[in-house]
Amino acid sequence: MTFWRKYSFVGLISARSNLAYFGDVVSRVLFLGVVLYIFLRLWKVTYAETAVQTLGGLTITQMLWYLTVTESITLSAPRVAQVVDEDVRTGSLATQLVRPLSYPLYRLWTTLGERLVRFFMNVSVGSLIAWILVGALPVSAVGLLIFVLALPLAFVLDFWANFLIGLGAFWLEDTSGLLLLYSRITMILGGMLIPLELFPRAMQPVLRALPFSSMVYGPAHLLVLPSLNELIELVLRQGTAIVVIVLFVGIVYRTALRRVYANGG
Amino acid sequence: MLPKLISYLTLAAAYVRFNLKSQLEYRGAFLSQVAAMFINDFFWVIFWSLFFTRFPVLRGWNVKDVITLWAVTAAGFGLAHALYGNGLFLPQLIARGQLDAWMLYPRALLSHLLLGRMSATALGDAIFGFVAYLLMVRPDLPHFVLFTLLTMSVAVLFVGFSILSGSLSFYLGNAEGLAEQWRFSMITFSTYPTTLFDGAAKLLLYTLIPAGFVSYLPVEALRELSLSHAALAGLGALAVLLAGIAVFYHGLGRYESGNLMEMRG
Amino acid sequence: MKPAVKLASLHKTFILKQGKGFRRTQAEVVAVADVSFVIPEGQSVAFIGPNGAGKSTTIKMLTGILHPTAGEAHVLGFTPWRERSKLAYHIGAVFGQRSQLWYHLPPRDTFELLARVYNLDKRDYVKRRDMLIERFGLSSFLSTQVRKLSLGQRMRAEIAASLLHRPKVLFLDEPTIGLDVVARQELRDLVREWNREDGLTVFLTSHDAGDIESVARRVIVINHGRVVLDDKVSTMRRQYLGSKVLSVKFNELPARIDISGVAVLKASGYALKLEVDTQVIAIEKVINVVLKAGPVADITIEDPPLEEVIAHIYSQGAGSSFAADLEEELNTA
Repeated sequence: MTFWRKYSFVGLISARSNLAYFGDVVSRVLFLGVVLYIFLRLWKVTYAETAVQTLGGLTITQMLWYLTVTESITLSAPRVAQVVDEDVRTGSLATQLVRPLSYPLYRLWTTLGERLVRFFMNVSVGSLIAWILVGALPVSAVGLLIFVLALPLAFVLDFWANFLIGLGAFWLEDTSGLLLLYSRITMILGGMLIPLELFPRAMQPVLRALPFSSMVYGPAHLLVLPSLNELIELVLRQGTAIVVIVLFVGIVYRTALRRVYANGG
Repeated sequence: MLPKLISYLTLAAAYVRFNLKSQLEYRGAFLSQVAAMFINDFFWVIFWSLFFTRFPVLRGWNVKDVITLWAVTAAGFGLAHALYGNGLFLPQLIARGQLDAWMLYPRALLSHLLLGRMSATALGDAIFGFVAYLLMVRPDLPHFVLFTLLTMSVAVLFVGFSILSGSLSFYLGNAEGLAEQWRFSMITFSTYPTTLFDGAAKLLLYTLIPAGFVSYLPVEALRELSLSHAALAGLGALAVLLAGIAVFYHGLGRYESGNLMEMRG
Repeated sequence: MKPAVKLASLHKTFILKQGKGFRRTQAEVVAVADVSFVIPEGQSVAFIGPNGAGKSTTIKMLTGILHPTAGEAHVLGFTPWRERSKLAYHIGAVFGQRSQLWYHLPPRDTFELLARVYNLDKRDYVKRRDMLIERFGLSSFLSTQVRKLSLGQRMRAEIAASLLHRPKVLFLDEPTIGLDVVARQELRDLVREWNREDGLTVFLTSHDAGDIESVARRVIVINHGRVVLDDKVSTMRRQYLGSKVLSVKFNELPARIDISGVAVLKASGYALKLEVDTQVIAIEKVINVVLKAGPVADITIEDPPLEEVIAHIYSQGAGSSFAADLEEELNTA
């Protein structure tokens, strides 16, 4: 019982500290306003030029809401990689290596807390803007539930990827390049700017299999076109990816531990 | 007039040399920053390539046009802030009273202080711009010459814009956030085809957010090898630069009367 | 003799905005009120006062960074805030918080850059630079990055850099702060040498009494925006800087100390605080007496804090200006 209480308390604290920045909200509004407006123009023109009602199965309204969610997800990306990188460099991680579980779990809880708040803020602001631009998205309570269920593992998966990048600090002088690469790959291959259905046909199955789309395209697509089958598939894919990456993190941890002991900590 | 110009060019050359040398002290971080921006820009080009695979023409623009857009914007922005890196730090310099140190030198204040820093990421942008244009658009000589001239025009505009947005700090206490938002909007709009926008938005793009002079006129100039478009782009750039300089020196008057902020010491 | 610096009724008020939104009020804060003095060329002046007294405001007006609300000033014949660029060729400045030297580059690179900034003739610059290197003893670390230098080395290079363009007036702000005893003395000697031998007018701000005594001939004290004392350092030393404070901790109860020139400020248990008038008795004599008074665990020798001295001065009323006498003295010297 204390385990859960401890970590949820930590999550709450970090969530609350994120709410404190009002100026942050304003800048979010401006950012999302600009970006979603531009996307709307881009897709409106595209729909008009191809003279269709739906592209990739989405109407223009659904398209913009899709993009709102993908942007909200991407924008709420956690700073875990930077934090872990710093912990590695200052040596505070090295002291935690002997109790391997507590550090990642601690980070996981704080990250999830932060992320949920930021995502909620982004999606609230984004929804308002999307509503102004294209009107409301027809969505049922079940549909909304399906969407919400797609999020937790997506965030957990993203956390582990970022965590892994942070661990790169054991070997690299600077992990920010790796982080940038990861965020850009997620952006493209994850379907942040275009839904998977509009990619070249040959690429689509590959993209679906890769973990990136499970974090971005997956949940967003479920909001605009909810489907229970799709949700189940997505959750399975998310789960598999998490298992794989956690195993990998374990290996990296063990190697890092050896390195720390070799270098005298 | 001429000796003054030569004296300034010699000064600028010295600053470039020493800024570069100073950056190369941390070679790893420097190169990774340069590479990071290069990669970032490259990914956007990938996105557009994928987009145009599915939708070959957008209001008369094809993939080469959008790549040209990115090339000229990146190269111009990069050139501007590789040389005048302090343009990005103007709000901080003003807010922290760091203009004082520059005012003790026997040089025109603005053109001197801008030289004080070189942005490594801007260098990445500049390199990307030229590489992308040469390799992906494959221009003939006349086009390449025009491209280089337009890059300089865009650079002039970005310098002016940085000065303009940075000088807000003379008038508003903590203008860092605002200046940043304004800059972000400018850069974002500059990287999307202006052809997407109509009416009021289009007007905005030639006034408050002068992205039109960066993303429309230069591209049109290169598409048709049109000197009139190029001239308009240059005029717009000049206008923004003059506006920036005017606002800066007006704000400087307030700074010199000291009624800007709390007294120090 | 031509004055290097001439201030007449210099005034500076700031309008301080307080509060937010509708409850915004404006308060006028007088930073500098009716400050006047004349500094002849080649004089070294210590310009001191507590924090917030108006020192940096005055210096900013003298260097052209700030416009005064009223009054006149001429530095080397220029009105600073109107002819800032032209004046800049003839003044040098070493301000504590700001370093002119590029952190990741060796001092020699900064020198080269400054040569371009000040538009110095190549041959002239090389000769001047080499002379400065020799006199400031920079050759051993000229090609070492500034971030690797000790504070003492950095300050020497800093001052040398500020003299590259042959300024006639040098503004120094807290130059010895953070330096060890040896480096401090080295720096003071260098500045004094330049003042005495090269005729550099020195305008020094410092909280260190040793700086003032060592470098300056004249001291101007400013408090609450007004000149409170304008006198020769020797006079000030006689009246206010002539004492040292000795704090001693013994291991057992010490014998009584009763000699002329030494006043017991505090005596509690094994600790003793003495004020020594160094005009009456040499400090080493006092130390000898102290060492004989009992086994000493710890001993500290300090100057009385400058703030105290200034408060003391101020409480005795504004001092009259002996500047005219001083100028005459320098002219006949």
